[in-house]
Amino acid sequence: MDILVNLFVNGISTGMLIFLLASGLTLIFGLMSVLNFAHGGLFAWGAFSGVWIFAETGSFLVSMLGAVVIGMALGLILERFLIRPVYGNHVRQLLITLGGMLVLSEMLKVIWGPNPIRANLPEWLSGSYQLGGIILIKYRLFVILIGILVYILLILLLNKTKLGLMIRAGVMDKEMVQALGINVKSLFSFVFLLGAGVAALGGVLLAPYSGVVFAEMGMQYAILAFVVVIIGGMGSLKGSAVASLIVGLAGAFMAYYLPDFSLALNMLLLAFVLLVKPSGLFGEEGEV
Amino acid sequence: MQVLSNNRRFLIGFAVVAFLAVIPFVNDSRSMLILLTQVFIFAIFAMSFDILLGYTGIVSFGHCLFFGIGAYSVALLLNRQGGELPSFAAGMAIALVLAVIISYIIGMLSLRLKSHFYAMLTLAFSQLFLVLAEKWRSLTHGGDGFTFMVPDLFRDRLSFYYITFTCLIALFILLKLFTESSAGKVLKAISQNEQRAEALGYKTLHYKVIASIVAGTTAAVSGGLYVVTLRFVNTTVFSIDVTLDALLMTMIGGVGTLVGAIAGAGIIEYLQHYLSELASTYPIFERWTILLGLLYIFVIMGFPSGLAGLFKKVSARGEREKSKDKNRRGSEKTA
Repeated sequence: MDILVNLFVNGISTGMLIFLLASGLTLIFGLMSVLNFAHGGLFAWGAFSGVWIFAETGSFLVSMLGAVVIGMALGLILERFLIRPVYGNHVRQLLITLGGMLVLSEMLKVIWGPNPIRANLPEWLSGSYQLGGIILIKYRLFVILIGILVYILLILLLNKTKLGLMIRAGVMDKEMVQALGINVKSLFSFVFLLGAGVAALGGVLLAPYSGVVFAEMGMQYAILAFVVVIIGGMGSLKGSAVASLIVGLAGAFMAYYLPDFSLALNMLLLAFVLLVKPSGLFGEEGEV
Repeated sequence: MQVLSNNRRFLIGFAVVAFLAVIPFVNDSRSMLILLTQVFIFAIFAMSFDILLGYTGIVSFGHCLFFGIGAYSVALLLNRQGGELPSFAAGMAIALVLAVIISYIIGMLSLRLKSHFYAMLTLAFSQLFLVLAEKWRSLTHGGDGFTFMVPDLFRDRLSFYYITFTCLIALFILLKLFTESSAGKVLKAISQNEQRAEALGYKTLHYKVIASIVAGTTAAVSGGLYVVTLRFVNTTVFSIDVTLDALLMTMIGGVGTLVGAIAGAGIIEYLQHYLSELASTYPIFERWTILLGLLYIFVIMGFPSGLAGLFKKVSARGEREKSKDKNRRGSEKTA
């Protein structure tokens, strides 16, 4: 029983981290049909700068904030100099964002060296709660809490504000929104920055969770996020949230019971969704 | 657009081939031979990638998959069956069969989807194979890899130089014939406008699957040759860096021209060799990959058709007016 609960908590918290990465990816894709291969690079930058700031200042909250700011700054540069010049050309977009990914992860090695760096837990988040026989690790609960908070904030932003209305309308039909006199390009820049910030937040939260940060982690998690975005449906925030939890939970249970097949499972899920419903669980029909 | 007349083109090609054929007699430095052999092998790989990217217009981020399959098939056979020529041939045969089967399955599954889904899926599939190679330690020895004996014929650097050189020329001619066949023409049409090709009655999915099978098998050959030069294999043959190499070579050399892919392979291999040598004296150059990454971004932004495109543009300036006129008249007729 306690194993099941533990696996459940692990799965949900991993799912939340994947969600932080996937949410930006799915919104960016939904609005401008830009698939950003460099998104994982922002995630890795969030992790590295978070660890560095935490080591310098000793405050986890400051490191979270700093990582988000750095992630957004990099997102701004990426959007302005790499993605904006190739709007509308899918092949060049794919190629150039992969180049962005390469440069971002190499920059990590230039600044922090090629070796993995240890990431420490903050004092107030280490340890665990004990409920009967069940041990709940504090930090995982914290990750889940942040994940839920970000999800609620994003949903509120999308559903309750005028900006969110414009974004949702843009996802549905960007020509129409443009025709109504709203600047879709600056809207997109905003969404890109938002996505970059959330991805960096995911990175900084992942660092103490896995205990170590390395430059290739961006690509690894980006692949999970792609799987999630496809399963949930491109452009759907709710779909990404549900799919993240599915992938996180499936990963946690498989890693315990059938460790060798945990990645294969995601691929099978992905192949299944693509064969049965290529637009994903919550995607618009006819998108693919 | 025919920039150089066929005759002149043939002469230039012949001169380059002849030059490369006599190089070992003029300059017998070992490192030079090894570098050129490496260039030939990666030129094969880059050409195979160009069949997808340049001729069909599909972006695969998992091309290392086929390189790795070729590498492991040949390495395993040479390791298990002894380092003789028959086991090399058997390894290559297995590599080709596997490449056909896997590229067929992946193609049928994912080529129906739009370009970004395909790019993403191929990346995911290649990562799946990387994990498989790392986990299946009894077969692959994981990241540690294993060494093996190679046939005597391949051990001699000079004869292997000529073998890879012949392979490159043979595959170049085969791929050239393929791109100029009727199937190749349909691929070119798909890369320009897929809906229109579909509307003309071509089953574009079938043609795209054919392209991915051709590309996959060619990449498997290059992977098989690559491990023979190293006499060692580990999981890095499945790493994303291999795909990135192919991307860099085709983008910098020029997409849609097999010659461009070969030139790109030469440039990138030489740069990598030179920069890593520089790194041993100046530690600043240790992270030379970043320079290649920046070059790659610069090429995509500035010269989307690569060096071959730039060369064409410069040398075509005079002939452009003529061909434009001809095209216009031609399109008026068909319209």
